[in-house]
Amino acid sequence: MARARVKLKIWGLALTVPALCLTWAMTWPVAVQASEALVTNQVSDNVSFVDLTAMKATGDVKIGGKPAGIALSPDKTVAYVTAPDGQELVEVDILARSVKRRLKLGGGPLGIAAHPSKGEVYVADWYAHKISIVDVAEFKVVAEIAVGKSPSGLAVTPDGRTLVSADRDSDQVSIIDLVTRTVVASVAVGQRPFGVTISADGARAYTANVASDDVTVIDLAARQVSGTVKVGHRPYAIALSGNRAFVTDQGIGTVTIFDTTTLKTDRTIEACDHPEGIETDAAGATVYVACWGDNVLLKIDAATLGVTGRVSVGDGPRAFGKFLR
Amino acid sequence: MLKRLALAVALLSLVPAVASAHGPSRQKVTETIEINAPADKVWAIIGKFQDMGWHPTFVKTEGKGDNGPGATRKLTLASGGTIDEKLVKYDDAGKSMSYEITEVDVKVVPVTNYASTLSVKGEGDKSTVEWKAAFYRGYVNNDPPPELSDEAGVKAITGVFKTGLEALKKKVEGG
Repeated sequence: MARARVKLKIWGLALTVPALCLTWAMTWPVAVQASEALVTNQVSDNVSFVDLTAMKATGDVKIGGKPAGIALSPDKTVAYVTAPDGQELVEVDILARSVKRRLKLGGGPLGIAAHPSKGEVYVADWYAHKISIVDVAEFKVVAEIAVGKSPSGLAVTPDGRTLVSADRDSDQVSIIDLVTRTVVASVAVGQRPFGVTISADGARAYTANVASDDVTVIDLAARQVSGTVKVGHRPYAIALSGNRAFVTDQGIGTVTIFDTTTLKTDRTIEACDHPEGIETDAAGATVYVACWGDNVLLKIDAATLGVTGRVSVGDGPRAFGKFLR
Repeated sequence: MLKRLALAVALLSLVPAVASAHGPSRQKVTETIEINAPADKVWAIIGKFQDMGWHPTFVKTEGKGDNGPGATRKLTLASGGTIDEKLVKYDDAGKSMSYEITEVDVKVVPVTNYASTLSVKGEGDKSTVEWKAAFYRGYVNNDPPPELSDEAGVKAITGVFKTGLEALKKKVEGG
């Protein structure tokens, strides 16, 4: 009897501790601001780690092959980086700060996105006009999906059901059902869509159209364009915060902000030389921009729209994808 | 006339392909030079988008739109060949201008999707000119021939920048 009581106590402890850990782990990234950025530096061939609270670079990991695209695992402990020149997918252990595995893909791997819960990443091949599905446990390609020409940015809906590919040289997006792994629709957008971002509710996709200097808003359920917003010269990628969209205007060094409800431009702010990868932190309070020309990561207050910080990173930062944790 | 029209149409149809496709990774060239002259004096020379006369590689500048938004120019190289460029940003107070190549044969300059910023910063009687470029190599697919590789593009642009900046320094300090 006494023994059973002890056992119960042990069981009680054993149950309580992981439950607490689980709650903490699940709420912590949402409750506080993003704490770290992983910036791919294409010229210096590495990834910079940036402490976003201190706005300080804390180290880097050599990647090779001119790293550009990046996606993080659902628990944000692993980064998947594309190396277009090396034609590889590179897996980085974020906590150990080392390269774990490399996978030769061939072609021109550039855009990348991770499934929000499953162990899968999706890599766009710029030259072979397809998307490779990589099982991250086995670390090999398990399926390929043909899309339009020169697929660039990729994004997955929060429910993990749909993948959107910006097919740059076909001026369209491909909408892919991730359950059947088939293209279910293609939607014509502006000219040369590059970055694509999906809203937190999964209802909309936004493409930055490099050649037509605008952003196309796509209704994902209807598979139709619901609007177009004029932005700055050669837009690259988009971040969302509340009802605002932030667009990096790579060709003219600005960030254009527009209202996602009215689709009217709110403001254009001076940013840096060649602003590229852009992402909002989990709290929605801050937007971070990789500046390819100036070799810095820029911090923008999503409420006041002021530039509130900058930190030096490696040479030629792109951070094309999701790079905040 | 009809022949010429057909040629023009054929050339036009090539433009989007040339402007859109590019190699896997963007290249970067930055060159700077210190000049023993105030920035105003240097900017008075390099700040004219319609006159590239200070650069020995270019024998002629023809264009329109002055330094205004969307201004264009055609540069003729001493070696023959031309480069069409468009002004995208002009900051007179900040002494900086950004422009892009809109049309060039990769045999003339082995790059694609080229954008550049030329600026000068002063400190008293001295100034520093910075010339930055972002571009992709001339060959838009994998396995480029050597003359259209990343290295060839970087070498060509570095050469143009160095030649120009050295000539500029000589011109400003000499005159």
